[in-house]
Amino acid sequence: MNPIEDIIDHKQVIVCAGSGGVGKTTIAASIALRAALKGKKAAVLTIDPARRLATSLGLKELSNHPVKVNRRKFTAAGLEPSGELHAMMLDTKTTFDEVVLQYAPTRAQAERIIANRFYRNISSTLSGTQEYMAMEKLYELHSSGDYDLLVVDTPPTRNALDFLDSPRRLTDFFESRMLRWFLIPYMKAGGGIMRVANVAANTFLRLVKRMVGGEVLQDTAEFFGNLEGMYDGFKERALEVAALLRSDATTFVVVTSPSDESVGEATYFGSRLNESGLPFGALVVNRVHPKLGDGIQVVKARHLRALKEGGADARLLAALLENEADFMRVVGLEEDNLTALARKVPRHLWVRVPYLEREAVDFPGLVAISEQMFP
Amino acid sequence: MLLEDFFSPRILVIAGKGGVGKTTVSAALALVAARRGRKVCVAEIDRKGTLPRLFGGKALGYQPSELSPGVWGMNIVVEEALAEYLKVQYHLSRISRMFTSPQFVDYITTAAPGLRDILVLGKIWYLEQGRSGGGPVHDFDTIIVDAQASGHMLTFLSAPMGLADAVQVGPLRRQSEWIIDMLRDRERTRVHMVTLAEEMPVQETVETSVALRTRVGLVPGVAFANALYTSHPGSDPGSTDGLGHSKPEELDADVLKEEAAAAGFRLDDDDIAALIGYAGFFKVRSAIQRRHLRELRKNIEEPVIELPFLFSAGLALPDIERLADEIELEVAQL
Repeated sequence: MNPIEDIIDHKQVIVCAGSGGVGKTTIAASIALRAALKGKKAAVLTIDPARRLATSLGLKELSNHPVKVNRRKFTAAGLEPSGELHAMMLDTKTTFDEVVLQYAPTRAQAERIIANRFYRNISSTLSGTQEYMAMEKLYELHSSGDYDLLVVDTPPTRNALDFLDSPRRLTDFFESRMLRWFLIPYMKAGGGIMRVANVAANTFLRLVKRMVGGEVLQDTAEFFGNLEGMYDGFKERALEVAALLRSDATTFVVVTSPSDESVGEATYFGSRLNESGLPFGALVVNRVHPKLGDGIQVVKARHLRALKEGGADARLLAALLENEADFMRVVGLEEDNLTALARKVPRHLWVRVPYLEREAVDFPGLVAISEQMFP
Repeated sequence: MLLEDFFSPRILVIAGKGGVGKTTVSAALALVAARRGRKVCVAEIDRKGTLPRLFGGKALGYQPSELSPGVWGMNIVVEEALAEYLKVQYHLSRISRMFTSPQFVDYITTAAPGLRDILVLGKIWYLEQGRSGGGPVHDFDTIIVDAQASGHMLTFLSAPMGLADAVQVGPLRRQSEWIIDMLRDRERTRVHMVTLAEEMPVQETVETSVALRTRVGLVPGVAFANALYTSHPGSDPGSTDGLGHSKPEELDADVLKEEAAAAGFRLDDDDIAALIGYAGFFKVRSAIQRRHLRELRKNIEEPVIELPFLFSAGLALPDIERLADEIELEVAQL
C-alpha cells in the first residue's frame, strides 16, 4: 500500500521537509488534495508558493488563515471531492503578533512589544523565526480541531535541518542570560546611564554602541524588559509545539529529487529525525526521469556514424537513438542514487513521482501530480 | 564579447534561487577564468555547499584553500567575518569568545538588520582590496560569489543601503558606502543571474533583474538559463533541435526499423517504443522550457546564456569542464 495513503487515513499532521527546489510545496498540496478527495477536511499551509499555484488555490494574498478552495476547481477537473481542501500562506509577522497578544499579561504590554523596533527585526530577520512560526501556526490550527488533516510545507531553508532546531533557537534567544545580564544597566536606568562595575558588560555595551548606535541598545532593553513575565508562557508553548511534532498525531514526509545532492540531504535529514525522536512517515522521490525500456544495447558507434551519413530518415533515427541514450544515462545515474537511498530508507516507505509532461503550477497540474502519487 | 572583458570586473556575484545550479555555474566560470591563467576564488556564503565535492576536496573553511590549479574556494562564515571585522576595526585582537558566539551574532545582526550581509560583503571587499585581518593575503584576479541559496538575493545586495540609512554616523556607515560603491561600479562588480527554464525561477529572475536596478542601483550582467534539454548538435543539420520537426506520434516504426537494418543492427518493438517515448518526453519538456525561456528573454534586458542539461544526476568535474566549454562559446557570441 502507498505509505502516504496510510498516513492520510491515520494522522492529523504531515510535515513536508526537504531541500530547496525539490517540489515540496507541490507535494504538500497534492497530499492535501488527495485527503480532500478521500473525504477529509484538509488544509495545506504553504510558505512561499509559486504565484500561479497560489492563485489557482484561491490564495490572493497573505491571509494567515486557511481559505477553502472553490469546489468548482474540482468539478472543472472532473473530480467530486467528498471532503474539503483549504489552503493558506503563512504570514510570519502576523503569526508572531498573535502569539505576543496571547501571552502578554496586558494588551498595553503586547502593543509596546509589537511597536518595538527590535521585535520587528526579529520577525523579519532572525533566522529560525519563520520556521518556528510555521510550527506555531500548525499547532494553533491543530488545537482548533477544525481540520481532519494539516499538511505543512516547510520554509525553503538552505538546510532542511534548520527548522528542526528553530523552536529551541528562538526560545534560547529570548531566554539568553548573557543578553539580559548585559542589558541590566540599560533596563534599570531606562537607557540613560551606563554605570556598571562589570568589565565584560561594559565592553559589550560600548562595542554595540559604537558599532550600531545607542538606540539599538535602548530598543533591545525595552524589548527584553517588556518580555518579562512572558518567558514562561513562550517556553511552555514551544514545548507544546515540540510535543505535537513528536506525538502520534504527526508524521514527517521527506521530499527529495533523485540527484545525488538532494538524496544526500534527504538521507541526512532522515537520520536527524531519528536522532531527534521525530516520526518519519514516508519519502517522496520527486521528478524522477521516466524509464522507458531497458536501454538499446545493440547500437555501436559505427552504426551511428553510418546513420548520420545517410538520408533524412537515417539521421532522424540517429538523433532518436542519441536522445534515448541520453535519457537512459540519467535514468541509470538516478537509479544508482536511489539504490544508495534504499539502503537508508526501505522502499516500502517510498512514493515515486515521475517528471511529468506538464508543470504542476496550477490546479490541473496538482491533480496530475496527485494522480501519479496515488494511482 | 571577449572573455577578457567578461572577466574584467574582479567580483562576479552569481545570483539565483535555490536549486537552479548557482554552484555549478560558479564552478564552471571559475574553470573558464583559471584556463586564462587567473587566480580565482569561489566564495560560498555561510553554508557547507557542494563546491568542494565537485573538485573532490574537503569542506571549505574561512581561509581560502586551493581546490584545483588556480581555483580556490572559501566559505564566508558570518561569525568569523565578525571576528575579523572586530579585529580590524576595533583592534580587539584577543576577542572574547562571547563576541563571536552564535548568540551574540544573532543578537547584533537582529539589532541591526542587514549587518549579517554587510559582514559578508565587507569580507568580499577585503578580498577585493587584497587585505586580510590575519591569515595569508591572497591577490585574487577573480572573486566569484556563490550567493545565498534561500532568502532573497536583493535583501543581501541592498543591505548596505538599508544600513547606511539606519546608521547615520560612525565607521559602519562609511563602510556601507564603500560597499555600495563597490557593488554599483560595473568595472569592479558584475552580478549575473542563474535560472532554470521553469515558472517560478523565471519569474524571480525577472523580478531580480528589475529590482537590482531600482533597489540596488546596479545593472546586472547576464542571465544563465541552466539545464536546458538540448539534443546533440549536428545529428540533424536542418534544425537546432536534433529531433528535427518530426512529431514523435507520427514516427513510422517500420521506416525506423528499415533504417536500422540498413545500418547493420536490429531494433525490436520495445526499442521503437522507447525511442518514440523519449522523443515525446524530450519534445514536451523542451517545449515547456522554450516557452519559459521566451518569457525570460521578453522580460529582461540582459543577454541570456543557454546552458545544456547534462543528462546526469549529480555533477562531477568532467561535467563542469563541459559547461565551461559551453560558457566560453556562448560568451564569445555575445
